[in-house]
Amino acid sequence: MTRRMRLVLAALCALMIAPAVVAVIGRMPAFGHHPLPYGDAINRTTVAQRHVTNMVSAVNFDYRAFDTLGEELMLVAAVTGTLVLLRGRRGESLSDRAAQAGERPVCERSEAVTLACRLFFPIIVTFGIYVIMHAQLTPGGGFQGGAIIASGTLLLYLGESYRLWRRLVHSLLFDMMEATGAIVLVLCGLGPMLRGAAFLENVLPLGQTGALICGGIILVENAGVALAVTAGFILLLVEFLEETRATRDGGGS
Amino acid sequence: MNYLPWVTAAWLFAVGIYGVMTSRHYVHLIGCLTVMQSATYIALLSVGYRFGSVAPIFYARSDSTPAVDPVLQAMVLTDIVVGATVTALLLALTLQVHKKRGTVNPERLRPLRP
Amino acid sequence: MIALLVPMFLLVAATGAGVVLAREPRRQALAIAVNGVALSLLFVALRAPDVAYSEIAVGTALVPLMFLSVLVSLKTDRPKS
Repeated sequence: MTRRMRLVLAALCALMIAPAVVAVIGRMPAFGHHPLPYGDAINRTTVAQRHVTNMVSAVNFDYRAFDTLGEELMLVAAVTGTLVLLRGRRGESLSDRAAQAGERPVCERSEAVTLACRLFFPIIVTFGIYVIMHAQLTPGGGFQGGAIIASGTLLLYLGESYRLWRRLVHSLLFDMMEATGAIVLVLCGLGPMLRGAAFLENVLPLGQTGALICGGIILVENAGVALAVTAGFILLLVEFLEETRATRDGGGS
Repeated sequence: MNYLPWVTAAWLFAVGIYGVMTSRHYVHLIGCLTVMQSATYIALLSVGYRFGSVAPIFYARSDSTPAVDPVLQAMVLTDIVVGATVTALLLALTLQVHKKRGTVNPERLRPLRP
Repeated sequence: MIALLVPMFLLVAATGAGVVLAREPRRQALAIAVNGVALSLLFVALRAPDVAYSEIAVGTALVPLMFLSVLVSLKTDRPKS
């Protein structure tokens, strides 16, 4: 099928679907007047029931924790797939050493860049840990904090040499961290069943609203998700940046 | 204003599909996929919005302040992070394709061609 | 708030179209970053701070970096054939 025929076919399909799209847009609920009651029920009862003040975290890690379990396992699976694809070409035994740059010109890092990166890296990591720890009080959580910390480690790559970055970021450590995060979340599900409660039920003491330790199992699940997301993203970055180096001996497959 | 969010979501989805169809580079195609994903985020968040309400965080506010729907925000939040990971998987597949076939042009990569 | 939301929706529509119309992949990586910033501002205007956190960290820093490193690998990794 040539390109032109494909475009003509797509235009025809778009013409056929367009009335349906217009009808659906016309029948959507009015913007700004959300009619469904589930969100209101959660907003009204969660502070008294679970002693947390961030409704989104309560939904993510308590009321709909089953969906979060599925999402995190999806994340672990995608990261594992990427690592198998990218490391398989190079071999697992070389995964802890930096590769050569090949014949690509390597530019010298300027001192201003190094200074700025050294200044900002601890600030960003601290901010990421703050976002993770305050999941149940203010906007934040494991997903957001993990992404922030992972993008903070990029500053290490930017400011220091590649060799130093690979020495500081051990693949083995982050492999274990990601597995630990997934296991923690699954144990949060199976643990309550040992005491006779339901899968993923909130059985830990709930604490006091507004304190740092409140919410029961929300804290543990949040920590598991933070570990898995941070480690997953850092592993992905390590593999992608390692790919930019030349292969050692013409590469195998 | 009543229809603007839905029209924006439909527009982004359509533009993303057009980009996927007419792309000549697999990495460009993956970028258009992220645009299609962002259309779903906008549609979901616009469903939950209410005029004159606050974010669903009651740290310094009373419990009964009208707030937007937190369930939809929880859905979109996990979706964004997992979507980025799946994008990484697709990029790794692109690298494999380039290694095996020497090109990343979808036009030249037909199945069953040696 | 309507006065703020309408330009934000239009800005997101424009940056989304910009991502697709940037045919050169290196330019597209930066267009994705701009799209990420516009989306997070829209999410803040729609009263979703958690979602805006995720989108800024992911869409502005991580995804463009992965794109750029893949482009470098495609250029330096010549296949055998």
